[in-house]
Amino acid sequence: MTSDAASVEIDMESGFNTKTWAIRIASIGIWFLPLIWIDPTTYIVLTIAGLAFGMLLFMVAAGMTIIFGLMDVLNMAHGALFALGAYSGGYWILNLLEKFGWVEYGTAVQSFGSLLLAIFAGALAGALLGIVVERVIIRGVYGDHLKQIMITMGVLYVMTEVTKIIWGASPEVVLVPMMFQGSYDIFDVIVGKFRVVALIVGLAMFAGIQLVLMKTKLGLIVRAGVENREGVQAAGYNINRIFTGVFTVGAALAGVGGTMWCIFQEQVYPEIGLENIIFAMIVVIIGGLGSVTGSFLGAIIVGLSFNYVAFLLPKLAMGVNILIMATILLIRPWGLMGKE
Amino acid sequence: MAESILSLKEVHTYIVQHHILQGVTLDVTAGRPTVFLGRNGAGKSSTLRAIIGLNPVTSGEIHLAGRPIQGRKPYEIARLGVGFVAEDRAVFYNLSVEENMRLSMFEENEQAWNRLETVLDLFPDLKRLWRINAGLLSGGQKQMLAIARAFVNDHRILLIDEPSKGLAPIVVDQVGESLLQIKDKTTIILVEQNFHLASLVGTDYFILDDGRVVHQGLMEDLVEDQALKQKYLGIG
Amino acid sequence: MMINDMTPVQRDRLREQQTKYNRPSFWIQVALVVVLILVPLVPSFRVMDMVAKIMIFTVVVASYDLILGYTGLLSFAHAMFFGIGAYSVALLCYHSSSPQWYHLILAVVAALTLSVILALVLAFFSLRTKAIFFAMLSLALADFFHILGMTWSDLTLGEDGITFSLPGILNVEWSGVNLLGVHFTPRVMTYYLILVAAVFLFMGLLRFVRSPVGRVLKSIRDNEQRSTALGYKTFRYQIYSIVFGSSIASLGGILFAVWLRFVDPESVLGVFSMVDYLLMVIIGGLGTLYGSIIGATFFMATQAWLPDLLKGIAAFFPDYEIIHRIAERWMAFLGLMFIVAIMVFPKGVVGTVREIIDRRKASGAG
Repeated sequence: MTSDAASVEIDMESGFNTKTWAIRIASIGIWFLPLIWIDPTTYIVLTIAGLAFGMLLFMVAAGMTIIFGLMDVLNMAHGALFALGAYSGGYWILNLLEKFGWVEYGTAVQSFGSLLLAIFAGALAGALLGIVVERVIIRGVYGDHLKQIMITMGVLYVMTEVTKIIWGASPEVVLVPMMFQGSYDIFDVIVGKFRVVALIVGLAMFAGIQLVLMKTKLGLIVRAGVENREGVQAAGYNINRIFTGVFTVGAALAGVGGTMWCIFQEQVYPEIGLENIIFAMIVVIIGGLGSVTGSFLGAIIVGLSFNYVAFLLPKLAMGVNILIMATILLIRPWGLMGKE
Repeated sequence: MAESILSLKEVHTYIVQHHILQGVTLDVTAGRPTVFLGRNGAGKSSTLRAIIGLNPVTSGEIHLAGRPIQGRKPYEIARLGVGFVAEDRAVFYNLSVEENMRLSMFEENEQAWNRLETVLDLFPDLKRLWRINAGLLSGGQKQMLAIARAFVNDHRILLIDEPSKGLAPIVVDQVGESLLQIKDKTTIILVEQNFHLASLVGTDYFILDDGRVVHQGLMEDLVEDQALKQKYLGIG
Repeated sequence: MMINDMTPVQRDRLREQQTKYNRPSFWIQVALVVVLILVPLVPSFRVMDMVAKIMIFTVVVASYDLILGYTGLLSFAHAMFFGIGAYSVALLCYHSSSPQWYHLILAVVAALTLSVILALVLAFFSLRTKAIFFAMLSLALADFFHILGMTWSDLTLGEDGITFSLPGILNVEWSGVNLLGVHFTPRVMTYYLILVAAVFLFMGLLRFVRSPVGRVLKSIRDNEQRSTALGYKTFRYQIYSIVFGSSIASLGGILFAVWLRFVDPESVLGVFSMVDYLLMVIIGGLGTLYGSIIGATFFMATQAWLPDLLKGIAAFFPDYEIIHRIAERWMAFLGLMFIVAIMVFPKGVVGTVREIIDRRKASGAG
C-alpha cells in the first residue's frame, strides 16, 4: 500500500544511485556538446539567446499548463489570448506612446514606462478575453476533452479572423523602446538588450508563480485542486471561483507573453497565436502536462536546442522541436515532470 | 426530545440516467454517532455525497439543524458545518501533512490553530510526520490524517465514508480507536462495511437497500438481531 | 450452409443481403450515383467544380469521421495526410518533364506508404498515454509538415505552390472526344475519374465500419474499459482505424490535386483547415459516415455563396467601413458556425435525425 512511486523516489535520493547520476550528468553535459562545433564566444551568445527564447516560450506555456493541471482543460484559445496581448500591448500601446515620443527616441524612464504600460495592457487584454472565454465557452464543456479542444480551436480560428478585421491581415512592425534597442558588448560577447529583458521578465514570472503556488493559501488550494477537485470543494472552497481566477491569471500571462514576444520579434501578424500555441503545446508536452517546473525546463530545452541547431544546421531548426519531443516521450511517455 | 441535527426527506438522485437514491428519508439525532449499513450499491455513499452536495439532489429535502441545504454547492454546505471524509483520496498525496491540515482550515486564526493542537494531541503520529508528503504515509496514517483534517473546523456533523476500506485488520482497530476518541465531539455519520467497526462506533443505525432506508434502530439491538443482519447485511 | 447452422451475425448478414434491393436507401444511393454521372451535362463549370469538390471532401470527411466519430480520437493531422497525398501527385508530375500514368500510380504508392508510416509513428507515440496526447501530437506533426511545405522551397516552391499537368486524357492539351452528342473534355474525364474513385473509397469506408473491426471500434468508443475486459486489444483496433482513415485522406488529397492541378501549403497543409474538416464532420454528425455527404455539401455551398452574400449585405451600408471589413472575413463566420454547432448541435444533422427516429421507434415498440 505505502510503497507508491513517491517513496521509491526517496529511496533513490538517500542512496547513491549510479544510474540516476549518470542521467543527471548526461542531461547537463549534453548542453556543452555544441562547443565541439561552435567557438566559445558564439556559444555564449547563442546560449543567452536560447535562454531568452526559452523564457518567452515559458510565458505562453505557463498559463496553459496551470490551466490544464487545475481545470483539466486543454485550452487552444490560449493562442488567441497571446495574439490579443501582442496586438494590444506590443503594437497598439507602443504605437500610441510613440505619438508622445516615448518609445523609439524616449528617455530611459520613458522606455521603461512604455514597456511596463505595454506589458500591463497585454496582461489586461489577455485577462479580459480570458474571462469571456472561460465563462461563455469553456464553462459548457468542462470534463469533455474532445469538445474542449475542438471548441477552443474554433475560438482561436475566429479570433485570428477578428484580429484581421481590427488590425488587418498583413504583418505590422512593432516598435522597440529606446533603452532596449541594440545590444551590450561584454568582452566580444554580443547580447541583445531586449533578450536580457526577456530573461529577467521570464525568470521573475517563474519565481512569482512558484512563490504563489508554494507560499500562499491560494497556491495551496490550486495545488490541491490539481490533485483532487472534489476534495477541494468538500473542504469548503468555491472551485468555480478559483477556476475563473486561475484562468484569468493564465490568460494575463499569455497576454504578457504575446507583448514580450512581438517586441522581441519586432513584428506582429494574425497567425502569431496559432504558431505560438503549437510551440507552447510542445513545451507543455515535454515538461509534462500540468507541471510549471516541467514547462520551465521544457522551455529552456527547446529554446537552447533551437538556437544551437539554427546556427549549425539552419534547415533542421524547424524540425528540432518535434525531434526533442519525440525523444523525451520515448524515454518518459508522460513528459519530464508529468504524472499519469 | 433530542434535537435532530440532520434530516433527509424523500431524497432522490440520478447519476446520468440511473436512479440512485429512490426516496431516502432519515433523521439523525445530534450527538449520537450514526451508521449507514447495507450491501454494496445500496446507496450509502451516495447518500453522503448527496448531503455534502457532490451528487445533485433531484427532489426531496435535506435539513441541517432545521435549515434546508439541498441544491447548495458543496463548498457552501461544508462551510455550514458539514465535514466530509471521502472514501478514497480523502487526503492530498502531493501536499505535506501540514499543508493538508492548513487546507482544511477555513480561517487560519488563533482559534483554528488551538483546535489543531487538540487534534494533534489525539493523533500524535501526525505531529511527527508534520512535513512529510501525505502520499508517503501508511494506509492507517492517511486515514488518521483524513479524520484529523475534518476535525480542524468546528463541524456540526462529520460524514465519514468507509474508513476501514483497504486497511489491515490491526490498522482498522487503530482507526476505530481514533473514531471512539472523537465521537462525542461532533455528530459522526459513518458508512461502514466492517460490522465490527460499525457496532463499536455507532449508537444508531440505518440500513439502506436499493436507494431507500429499509430499517433503523439502536445499534445494540441490531447486534443481537441475527435474522435482520442475515437478511440485509449477509452476516450473522 | 443451412440457415440453422449459422451464427446470429451470419444470419443477420444473409437477411441483409437478401433484402438489400428492396430497401429504399439502396435506391436512393443508385439515384444519387446516376445524378452524379449526369452532372457534366450541366453547362456550368461552377456546378461541376462544386460537385467534384463535394465528392472529394465527402470521402475525406467520412475518413475523418472514422477516426473521430467511430474511434473517438481527435486528429489534427488529417489535413496533413490530405496534403501528403496532394503533394505526392503534384511533386511527381511537376518534377517529371512529361507526366505519365505510372507517375500517378507512383504517387498513390508514395502517398500510401508515407501515410501508413506517419500514422503508425503518431499512434505509437500518443496512444500509450492519454487520448488528448493524440490530439496534441497530431497537431505538432501537422504544423511541422505545414512549415516543411512552406520552407523547403527547392522541392515545394514554398508559398507560391505548384502548378502541374496530368498525363493522357486528363491533360488539358488532349482535344477530347464527342460521344452521343456530348463533348468529353479532359475536365470531364477528370470528373469521372474522381467520381469512380470517390464512390469506391466511400464504399470501402462503409465496408470498414460494418466489418467486425468497425463493430469493435464502436464498442471501444462507447466503453473502453468494458471492451478491454472483453479481451479486445483497444490499442490495435485504434491503430487500424487511424491507419485506414489517414490513408483514405491521403488518397482524397490526390484526387483534390488532380482536380485543381495545383497545390499550395495553405490550402492542403494548413493547420486551420482542420477547423473546416471539423465543421463538416460536426454538421454531418459524428459516427454516421453518410453525414459527411451533408457536411461536405453544406460546407462547399457555404464557401461558395457566403462571401457573395456578405458582400451583398455590406453593399447596403456603403458608409460604414467596418462592415465591409467584417464582410471580407467570411471565414470568421464559418468559425462561429462551428462553435455554435458544437454547443447546440453536438450530434450533427444526421445524428440528430437518427436519434429522433430511434426514439420514435423505441416509443412505438414500447
